[in-house]
Amino acid sequence: MTITAPDTAAPVEPVTPAWLLQGDVAMCPCGCIGKRKKGSFVEKTLDGSAGLMRQVMFGQDIADQPGLLQRIDPRLKLASLFVLLFAVALVRNIAVLLIAYVLTVILASASKIPAAFFIKRVWLFIPIFTGIVVIPATLSIITPGDVVLELWTWHGEPQGFTSQGLTAAALIVTRVALSISLVVLLTLTTPWVRLLAAMRGLGVPRVFVLIVGMAYRYIFLLLGSVTDMYQARKARTVGAVKHDGAARGFVTATAGAILGKSHTLSEEVHQAMTARGYRGDAKTLQQFALTRTDFVYAALVVIVAVAIVLGDYSLGR
Amino acid sequence: MHIPDGYLSPATCAVAYAAALPTVAVAAKRVQRTVKTRNVPTLAMLAAVSFLVMMFNIPIPDGTTAHAVGAVIIAIVLGPWAAVIAVSVALVFQALLFGDGGVLSYGVNVLNMAIILPFVGYGVYRLVAGGSMLTSSRRVVAAFIGGYVGINAAALATAIELGIQPDLFHNAAGAPLYSPYHLSQTIPAMMLAHLLVAGVVEGIMTAGTVAYLQRANLPLLQTNHAGVRVNDSDVTTPPKRGVRPAVVALGAVGLMIVLTPLGLLAPGGAFGEDAPEDLNLGNLGLSSVPSGMARYTGFWNHALFSGYDFSGNNHPWIGYILSAVVGIAVIGLVIFVLTWILKRVAGGQPDEVDLRESVDVSDGSVSR
Repeated sequence: MTITAPDTAAPVEPVTPAWLLQGDVAMCPCGCIGKRKKGSFVEKTLDGSAGLMRQVMFGQDIADQPGLLQRIDPRLKLASLFVLLFAVALVRNIAVLLIAYVLTVILASASKIPAAFFIKRVWLFIPIFTGIVVIPATLSIITPGDVVLELWTWHGEPQGFTSQGLTAAALIVTRVALSISLVVLLTLTTPWVRLLAAMRGLGVPRVFVLIVGMAYRYIFLLLGSVTDMYQARKARTVGAVKHDGAARGFVTATAGAILGKSHTLSEEVHQAMTARGYRGDAKTLQQFALTRTDFVYAALVVIVAVAIVLGDYSLGR
Repeated sequence: MHIPDGYLSPATCAVAYAAALPTVAVAAKRVQRTVKTRNVPTLAMLAAVSFLVMMFNIPIPDGTTAHAVGAVIIAIVLGPWAAVIAVSVALVFQALLFGDGGVLSYGVNVLNMAIILPFVGYGVYRLVAGGSMLTSSRRVVAAFIGGYVGINAAALATAIELGIQPDLFHNAAGAPLYSPYHLSQTIPAMMLAHLLVAGVVEGIMTAGTVAYLQRANLPLLQTNHAGVRVNDSDVTTPPKRGVRPAVVALGAVGLMIVLTPLGLLAPGGAFGEDAPEDLNLGNLGLSSVPSGMARYTGFWNHALFSGYDFSGNNHPWIGYILSAVVGIAVIGLVIFVLTWILKRVAGGQPDEVDLRESVDVSDGSVSR
């Protein structure tokens, strides 16, 4: 194949091939762009592990930036997460939920989280999925009540969307989105290590925190082993990957191999820990001290939580 | 099966936390006794494995994939208590880092996936495997059934938790406040998916891994199978494991607690349990309450919680729940005493030897 130069001397706009401009369907996690092709189990697992690494690394970037929430003591943030989640769970008024949601977006911007990224991260994929799942529940066959939009009649009774069903659907979708926003706000603005220390500070048993911390460390090591196995499998597969018994055998053998590997590894890690003087309890270097900002934040959280609950009562439930 | 925040009422979440946290604490204690200072690295690795196993896409025949939870395989390899910790920790990651499953609903998710799933699955595995050899194919079948039943039990628990929401929590107009589907919808929806697909996937995962370990890593499989003969040439005699009354009683009580909310939802009254004055005599072709029935109706009127209540029906909810708690405690005590007596009568001293204590062979690399 030869490449011929353009005949005309006039400068030609460089043309980007159409296939390069096309959005990759695989980039959309919900498969909403075009039709999603069924990936093989090998590619899905490789994509999954790459996505995991990407998500964790990008999350850490934001946590290191100087923002409003990054300045707050992590113990306080974790405790306030529970307080706010509880307050939100009690709310029965959609307006209150929406106002609280707007507040979380403002907080996210103040904490250097790009608003578009924050909204996308929250809404994809659980609230949208919830919204689809609750559609049937808006009909009178599942949630009986006052029919606001009649679709058909059944024995003379009008059937269709009920106000009760629509209220329920709106309530659950906004509450789910708001709850996820609160969790995402915490995890995006707090480095994982400090979050662990916060758990410890709030009285979660030290052993549990230590296990969580170490497990997090070794997820990535073991993930590397899994990726290697899958990549090797992909490399020696010619043609399309079949979803047959051999494929299932490969996956379960991988799981068995990882179990064995982790077991051996845990022995080695234990020996290394014992050799360095580990006697069954852990010590942390970092001490948290509450500053004035923290007290202001704590007061604000309490005020907001009370406002949410009181606002819910006064606006009608 | 990961329930996000917002689907369940705070009350449900609180109850689940109250049930899950003590179980996890007991699990930590039990595992600590077995592995001593090794607990942290061992459990950390297991949690990491549990998290990764949930990422594995299992190819299923129609060309798509599904993922397993993998709690049963961990329970088979290292015991159900270790599985409780491993899956609970994996759920922490999923809730905090990946938004899979909520924070308030963490207790519910632990209850379903980290407690019910491994215990039911492991129990079924033990039951089906019986005294078969460690390398026998019966153990592979047992692992499949264990995984299948375990995940279906967890799915049923999830369906019940979601399905009781609309009846228990709705506003004045009748709009459900949390998950809007009733039990009659959640149970078929969850069970159809799990009986047909997810159960099979979990079964394939569990059975395939056991089969692999039988071929490739028998010492690892032996860790939690002390006294099980490896093959025909092995002459180990399996130790007899006594029934422990406390465990039996606690199991029965746990089951009853899980099923308690269902009583609130049962429509109508139970057949044959009406008070005589509630009988529709005309329908029965009677002119008056039969004399024998009338005589013995008032025979016992010293009930502590008459009509499942104690305050003259001022607080029907509190009364009902309190009655349930007292009833459960009494039945638990009765089962405990009965099991204890049966054990004494059936012969032998109470067998308090814990099998796990003797398990120390790992992969042969270290013996402490």
